[in-house]
Amino acid sequence: MAAPSADLAKAVLARDRRALAKAITLLESQRDTDAADAHNLLDALLAHSGQSLRIGISGVPGVGKSTLIESLGLKLIEQGHKVAVLAIDPSSTLSRGSILGDKTRMDRLSTHPDAFIRPTPSSGALGGVAARSREAILLCEAAGYDRVIVETVGIGQSESAVAGMTDVFLLLQLPNAGDELQAIKKGVLELADIFVVNKVDLDDTAAATSARQLQSALHMLRPRHAAWAPPVLTVSALTGLGLERLTAEIDRYDEVMRGNGHFVDNRRGQNLAWMQQLIDEGLARRFRSAAALDGQYDAIARQVSDGDLSAGAAAVRLLTIFDSRRH
Amino acid sequence: MGSSDLAAWQKAAAKSAPGGQVDRLGWQTPEGLKLNALYTAADTANLPHANTLPGFAPFVRGPQATMYAVRPWTIRQYAGFSTAEESNAFYRQALAGGGQGVSVAFDLATHRGYDSDHLRVVGDVGKAGVAIDSVEDMKILFDQIPLDKVSVSMTMNGAVLPVLAGYIVAAEEQGVSPEKLSGTIQNDILKEFMVRNTYIYPPVPSMRIVADIIEYTAKHLPKFNSISISGYHMQEAGATQALELAFTLADGREYVRVAMARGMDIDDFAGRLSFFFCIGMNFYLEIAKLRAARLLWHRIMQELGAKYPRSMMLRTHCQTSGWSLTEQDPYNNVVRTTIEAMAAVFGGTQSLHTNSFDEAIALPSDFSARIARNTQLILQEETHITNVVDPWGGSYMMEKLTQDMADKAWAIMQDVEKQGGMTQAVGSGWAKLQIEACAADKQARIDRGADVIVGVNKYQLENEAPVDVRSIDNAAVRDAQLARLARVKAARNAAAVQQALAALTTAAKANTGNLLELSIAATRARATIGEISDAMEAAFGRYRATTSMLSGVYGAAFDMDQEWQKLKAAIDAFARREGRRPRILIAKLGQDGHDRGAKVVATAFADLGFDVDVGPLFQTPEEAARQAIENDVHAVGISTLAAGHLTLVPQLIKALRAQGASDIDVFVGGVIPAQDYAALRQAGVCGVFGPGSVIGDTARSVLSAIEARRATADRR
Repeated sequence: MAAPSADLAKAVLARDRRALAKAITLLESQRDTDAADAHNLLDALLAHSGQSLRIGISGVPGVGKSTLIESLGLKLIEQGHKVAVLAIDPSSTLSRGSILGDKTRMDRLSTHPDAFIRPTPSSGALGGVAARSREAILLCEAAGYDRVIVETVGIGQSESAVAGMTDVFLLLQLPNAGDELQAIKKGVLELADIFVVNKVDLDDTAAATSARQLQSALHMLRPRHAAWAPPVLTVSALTGLGLERLTAEIDRYDEVMRGNGHFVDNRRGQNLAWMQQLIDEGLARRFRSAAALDGQYDAIARQVSDGDLSAGAAAVRLLTIFDSRRH
Repeated sequence: MGSSDLAAWQKAAAKSAPGGQVDRLGWQTPEGLKLNALYTAADTANLPHANTLPGFAPFVRGPQATMYAVRPWTIRQYAGFSTAEESNAFYRQALAGGGQGVSVAFDLATHRGYDSDHLRVVGDVGKAGVAIDSVEDMKILFDQIPLDKVSVSMTMNGAVLPVLAGYIVAAEEQGVSPEKLSGTIQNDILKEFMVRNTYIYPPVPSMRIVADIIEYTAKHLPKFNSISISGYHMQEAGATQALELAFTLADGREYVRVAMARGMDIDDFAGRLSFFFCIGMNFYLEIAKLRAARLLWHRIMQELGAKYPRSMMLRTHCQTSGWSLTEQDPYNNVVRTTIEAMAAVFGGTQSLHTNSFDEAIALPSDFSARIARNTQLILQEETHITNVVDPWGGSYMMEKLTQDMADKAWAIMQDVEKQGGMTQAVGSGWAKLQIEACAADKQARIDRGADVIVGVNKYQLENEAPVDVRSIDNAAVRDAQLARLARVKAARNAAAVQQALAALTTAAKANTGNLLELSIAATRARATIGEISDAMEAAFGRYRATTSMLSGVYGAAFDMDQEWQKLKAAIDAFARREGRRPRILIAKLGQDGHDRGAKVVATAFADLGFDVDVGPLFQTPEEAARQAIENDVHAVGISTLAAGHLTLVPQLIKALRAQGASDIDVFVGGVIPAQDYAALRQAGVCGVFGPGSVIGDTARSVLSAIEARRATADRR
């Protein structure tokens, strides 16, 4: 097969919807032979990427993420932006396919000419699909989208991955607070740049109470940036109440962080961290396949689990084998 | 009978029972009831209802003392044929041929509150029922049908206000005043949020509309049933008999509570609440269900404080199951419908619709409609079944089964109460998931052959003879509607229409006034169905369903199945080879909201290892094409139940090709007449799967098509 990346890159730059979709598929591919094409494609588009504001959104299942993205996306378009949404579905497992129903809750945004929505199953991806989403952001930017929203269900690890690839991270909350708040790990709260208490239409007093509780809880946390105290907003994704304020806060965050240089620093840091992560993963993979080649890994691992060899000594021995084969 | 006799029977039975296990005889029903091989007096000894009489509380044995012995059930055939003229001709023919009431099926555009000229309904006008845009259409529909004598049943839930208003104004202009009108409007919006999906507004304003109608009809149309609380569509969507019964009665209880919250006296409207159940092939269970329904409704209404016996008496319409009809060997359907009709009659229904045998594939032809009607006439006039009131009364089995069914349904109703009532249970999606779990489970039983359907998964015919079916020229119907709409709009006083519509919007926003009363005023001024619906949409918004999906139910049934495991392995191999799983978009096009098939297929495909994208309901072909392209799927599967496929599917293929995506394969499944297969293939459809297709086989051919496509792509 001829290297398709050059044509594909051209078509993505020409803002061809189908080309962007195909390009994301190429990145997501777990086929080894696609890796070179994917890298070529990214290389060709890198110079054209980076100009968007990357917005991460997370929250527990049922908090109304898709509905919020529907109204936030439409609001951003109304303000003149082009919006891409990358939705990660972590519900799928290795053994099964997944059901991707995000667009059933984003039916107006998903038909808007200035929007692009791509749900991604997370099945089987080494290092999680978040890895691919990071690169898919670059493609969306090259295709002219200047607001890229990355959505993930908050169930633990995925929040930090998404926060690590976006410029501003929104954490959604339900308006019944108290117990819910306890359930969220302190580490996740610390990631958030803006808190959004959703579904204020259901019960506005409950929403106000949870917003207050959240606010006072935040005083006990270490702020991520000296220049930014995360605001707590109440919105109704369903009725649109509070959305104006939300986009204003997103813009203000952008302005403040660009002004004090943090925006650029943050992206640099993310890129370096990403590079380091890829190195770690690549090394681990090579180490395993090299050490496994002559069955050494399994044999030594068995000695460790049987208590015949200390973990430290085993590690040294395996690394020595790895070093001796590295040519 | 002494216990020693029973012991003797046990011994005798053990000789012929397989493995000597008498306990294993009988049948475990899908809802978990145990049907025994033998019932005795011991089973009915302690039943509280056992010695009651028909016409007396708790009405287990029937709402009237004499039942069919004096007056048999009403033969009421549901029909709608694209245009008001054709439908009118059909009704008059049916009335002359022994039919006793008119039952109107509306097209999908009307159900969803769109006029025929709306852009979203191009493929839906005149499909699955009659297209009605204004009172002028209504007047043609009821032309020369005396509305003070013929009762009219209207299946309408979404656009219930303009349609009921249109009927009232058409009668008025025929010279019949409202108090003389008799009939039923379905007006059961809660079940629309669980199944069928022909809602317009969100649940809360929808419930206000229900209450407005109950209130207005109680005052002005005393002989008209303001609501027909329907389990029919739940069973059609897969619910077991117990689940159908429980959710229907729970819906009924919710409507009563809403009306009472309005300050209405329960006894002022309770007598105008009617029910509508589905009668499928579970013969004993269906009879027991109708008897249990009356038993429980009496209990519910008593608890809610009703005082008159009439208020506690459940009256119901029944229809034989459309889902039980098969495309294969379709004349078997005449037999199925007859058996189902008998169950409805033994259960004591007040009116009955018998399906036509060709309804698995199309709207009924004149011939099939006649056979369906004659099925009931034969039961009424040749069999003498009608001469005995509640002939199953006193049967050990039937009395016990009635109690078991009632207990099971009551337990489910308690669960609904724990959810906070039916509006909550529906709003959260909980109720819908209960039904979908039953549907996936049932499809798995059929595909495994555990449930037998003659001609489908057993005793199949080698060669199917084609059946003549009615086909509809959707474009011609639409053109005619558009012309009439234009005439109506040209002839009316525009200022008066605007004023009437503005009054509707204001009342909807401010929660004042009666919306039916205001809709009648707008209808008199010649406002259209779409305009009246829009006027309220301006205040209420249009409801969009949140689709929750379940997974694992279908696949779990096949864990031990070798073919299934082989297919899973083939899909895993595809994923390794291609770097991703086969990805398919399962979509529904147009205003057809029947999503049982789409849901079952989606969950089963995901269980097999496909990545399945699900489209929102009511997509246009262009919207589905865009989703397919953006998500970069290998294939699109269109599920269709409402005959719009010949218009909508070619449009989808055209839209895909226009965007350079001719390599996305399109499949169609659902209710599709054999005559349409060729046209669909010609339009570029890769495969057509009719009713009775086994999902595993479907998945295998989709996978093969994708594999073939990928192989040519790689060679290029």
